[in-house]
Amino acid sequence: MEDRPCALLLKFPGTNCDAETARALEAVGFVTEVLPVSALKPEKLVGVSLVVLSGGFSYGDYVMSGRIASLVTEQKIGETLKDFRDNGGYLLGICNGFQILTQLDLLPAGSLVENASGRFQCQWVKLKNLAPKSPFLSQCPAEFELPIAHAEGRLVTKEAAEAAGYVKSGAAALVYGDDVNGSFERIAGLQDESGRVFGLMPHPERFMKARDHYDPDWEGQGEGDWGSGYWIFKSLYQAIKEGEV
Amino acid sequence: MSDPATLNPLERIAEAPADHYRVLKISDLDGERLLELSKFMKLSLSREDMLAIQAIYAEWDREPTDVELEVIAQTWSEHCKHRIFGATIEHEVDGKAETVNSLFKTYIRDVSQRIFDRKPGFVLSAFHDNAGFIQLDDELAVCLKAETHNHPSAIEPYAGANTGLGGVIRDILGAGKGAKPIGSLDVFCFGAPDTTMDHIKADDVIHPLGVMRGVVRGVRDYGNRMGIPTISGAIQFDDSYIYNPLVFCGTAGVIPIKDIEKKIEAGMKVIAVGGRTGRDGLHGATFSSAALDTESHEEDQQAVQIGNPIEEKKAADFVLAARDKGLIEFITDCGAGGFSSAAGEMLEECGGVIDLDQVKLKEPGLVSWEVFISESQERMVLAVKEESLPELRKLADLYETELTELGSADGSGILKVTHHGNTVCELDCTKLHDAPTRHLKGRWTKKTGPVDAPVLTKPGEALRDLFTDFAIVSREPIIREYDHEVQGNTVLKPLAGASGDAPQDASVLRISGSKRLMAMGVSLLPEWGKTDPYAMGAACVDECVRQLVAAGADPGRLAILDNFCMGNPDAEEELGALVETVKGIAAVAEVYGAPFVSGKDSFYNYFETKEGPVSIPVTILISGMGIVEEESHVTGASLRKSDSLLAIIGHTSGDLGGSVFARRHGLENASVPATRAEEAWKCYVQYHEAVKKGYIRSAHDVSEGGLAVTLAEMAFSGKAGLEIDLCSLPMDDDASKAAMLFGESPSRLVIEVAPEDLAKVADLFEGLPFAALGRATTEHANLRVEWGKETLVNEPLADLKGLWKTGLARYY
Repeated sequence: MEDRPCALLLKFPGTNCDAETARALEAVGFVTEVLPVSALKPEKLVGVSLVVLSGGFSYGDYVMSGRIASLVTEQKIGETLKDFRDNGGYLLGICNGFQILTQLDLLPAGSLVENASGRFQCQWVKLKNLAPKSPFLSQCPAEFELPIAHAEGRLVTKEAAEAAGYVKSGAAALVYGDDVNGSFERIAGLQDESGRVFGLMPHPERFMKARDHYDPDWEGQGEGDWGSGYWIFKSLYQAIKEGEV
Repeated sequence: MSDPATLNPLERIAEAPADHYRVLKISDLDGERLLELSKFMKLSLSREDMLAIQAIYAEWDREPTDVELEVIAQTWSEHCKHRIFGATIEHEVDGKAETVNSLFKTYIRDVSQRIFDRKPGFVLSAFHDNAGFIQLDDELAVCLKAETHNHPSAIEPYAGANTGLGGVIRDILGAGKGAKPIGSLDVFCFGAPDTTMDHIKADDVIHPLGVMRGVVRGVRDYGNRMGIPTISGAIQFDDSYIYNPLVFCGTAGVIPIKDIEKKIEAGMKVIAVGGRTGRDGLHGATFSSAALDTESHEEDQQAVQIGNPIEEKKAADFVLAARDKGLIEFITDCGAGGFSSAAGEMLEECGGVIDLDQVKLKEPGLVSWEVFISESQERMVLAVKEESLPELRKLADLYETELTELGSADGSGILKVTHHGNTVCELDCTKLHDAPTRHLKGRWTKKTGPVDAPVLTKPGEALRDLFTDFAIVSREPIIREYDHEVQGNTVLKPLAGASGDAPQDASVLRISGSKRLMAMGVSLLPEWGKTDPYAMGAACVDECVRQLVAAGADPGRLAILDNFCMGNPDAEEELGALVETVKGIAAVAEVYGAPFVSGKDSFYNYFETKEGPVSIPVTILISGMGIVEEESHVTGASLRKSDSLLAIIGHTSGDLGGSVFARRHGLENASVPATRAEEAWKCYVQYHEAVKKGYIRSAHDVSEGGLAVTLAEMAFSGKAGLEIDLCSLPMDDDASKAAMLFGESPSRLVIEVAPEDLAKVADLFEGLPFAALGRATTEHANLRVEWGKETLVNEPLADLKGLWKTGLARYY
């Protein structure tokens, strides 16, 4: 029997980071299935350790980013997904996946709205790891870089105090080093109370190798020729492997 | 009842029974009436074309249907048939007469064929498919295609550019049995962003700023949603583009070599996949083959379609999955001409039947010709084996795209179209592709000569001035709106270097499943072409090739594309400029062994303003792809180490013509530098040897703004200041200081090497123009350029970078 943990990546119409995200998952050791959402059924989660929502523009994101995808997911596997999390399953949302997660009530309340610049922003950003114990960030250094590419990545909460609370509670696992898009408290990524649900706007799958960095002389991080994004997937893989024992 | 021969076309059409199609009696019309009919139906066919059609029908002893006339108009349109590139041109250069029998055959196809013969197995497909393919490795091939979408973008910038990119992406999906799009390029020509309104001499023309913003957002919203990184591009600003902005969109793809060949056979089913068919985009192909005026802005809104990238994304996911399962026998996109072009291309030899009743419509009530030529977006047409249909239907359901069976191939050689039980079109496909050869006249008279360079009293100020020019300022605000890293393969990004925001020449993509990479580059120099189109053509090929080689591509494995835009081909001087441009690109491409594998042209980019017609200058975009053997060869354009030495490869001419400096300093008709192709080629081969040996830390091409701008741009990585001395610069004896600093002679590269490697690199360039220029330094953060004992430039790099970074940002 396959002893590698299984990841299930949901592909909505308009999801477009599925191939490289699957490649990243495979690189750290996951068996990965990319599943078009038309074929999604509750049974598909059986035997799966990790559900991934990758980047893209699900259904075009014309209504509000991630809105329709969250409704489709809710309708197809809503309850199953919550059971999956309660029973030890992991959920990762990257960029559009993070936007979808925020609307599925699986993360602390908050909305990802249009960047303060009013623009799509494709650039590299500095990040601070505020949750070194998170299963998603345990092998990441205190500060690292990743690329972002989004128009709606500004995390807002109803009251500014809520966002400040996320920083105190540790829900704000990842924050930008600079004010990139107007996010409250510079929040770039959120985790839930279990620590097994994590969403972030930056794209770790785009920085798997040192050579992916914009500076050809970037010196690398940790062992091997890996980029910072690799360590997010690797952390997760380790956490799931250890959880299995 | 009046005499039918005197009826005007409107009456003639009204006379035919009103139904979903009409038979139009044309046999008794004279040339004038035929031309009126063509204009009335917006067929964009000339009197000669209409007479030819009349003759064909006389031979068949029947009258055409409106569907047939529309099909012929689409097929013979300049957009689909490139009739000017196939024309016989009586050309005169400086009083000497010559005859060009087809620019395409003489200067594009034949030149490329000779290169194919020199490099067997490298070019796997050229000219006949949607895009040309070159070999990447034993398993995979890559392709590139670029299209223009000028007229739609002039009228509706957002939608025009949106569908421009959407269309070229479909070209790639329809290349071979379906290539995977992996990267896009976008090149624009606009009026200057600071154009004042009183400078625009026609009504209903969108201000250049509105055009720019709309076009950029159109490209952004299609490319980003499709998940294809936009990695390469260029923008030119010139007054002549106010009325006719140019929008070039290109996409590269990758395909297994075994899936390049496609063939349709009798018995196969023809299916459509993707979006539905509506009244949007009627007459796009014929519309784009005519000039614009204020009226066309009002009338032809329906020729511009609205894009829906998610529809296309679903179709793309379906196509690539179906190809991987071996279910596709033939595929092409629905572009200009809609089903008529797609089915026509597919069935031209085999023949077959298309049933329009099967077509899924956006709205009811479309008549036959509307269904058949509608250019509604996001549709692909495939030929498949009947037994594959059930599995294809399942895949279409899985990816949530609509699949429709349209008809079948039957081996009859006849394209037959039925609708509501009637045969609305029955054409011998071979006749569709026999448009009359056009006869045109061209003339070119030399415009340039030696002009004294101005005496440079303050070269530093001249340099600062250049860094505010729209030709040079950073494209960062636009580049950041494009996702250039989706797919996770963009190794050399459009902005890179230690600071992440310094300009690069070519971009380089990793290719999943291969150790090799692909570089993409673009060049256009319309300013040169205004006075010396031959030099422009030559230099564009040179610059594109140089970018690719600089980034690490193997100079022996490059292929290029030619995309032409011009004003009025019936104006002799304008067509003459085109002929000279074509000669220029052909000459240099042949020396470099860089074959043309695909090309496209756009005519009638002129506008009837209140003060007469304004044409764009003949504009050539050369875009190219190159194979990079391994990742270690990838070379950026930004200074990397503070202990480095800098050197220049290539000869500096004293000619300032075509340069940004010349334009800003009012030098008119100054000689434009020639491309010394033989020498440049040797340099590129040696440069690549240096790359393979690991000697090159970085390399930047010398282009707009000349050497001084190139040096500063390299140092925009923020790693060090530069100490440069021009005393050993390889150059014309009489080159002025202005030419040394700001001249734009082609074929030059500035390279950064480690101190210990300089002698070894110099050895490689024995007998070629090469000189050490200076060094990086941590002693200061300036660009300091000396000439012997004289300090020409000593400017803080931070100041120059500040000017450069904010020049366009203020307007975008």
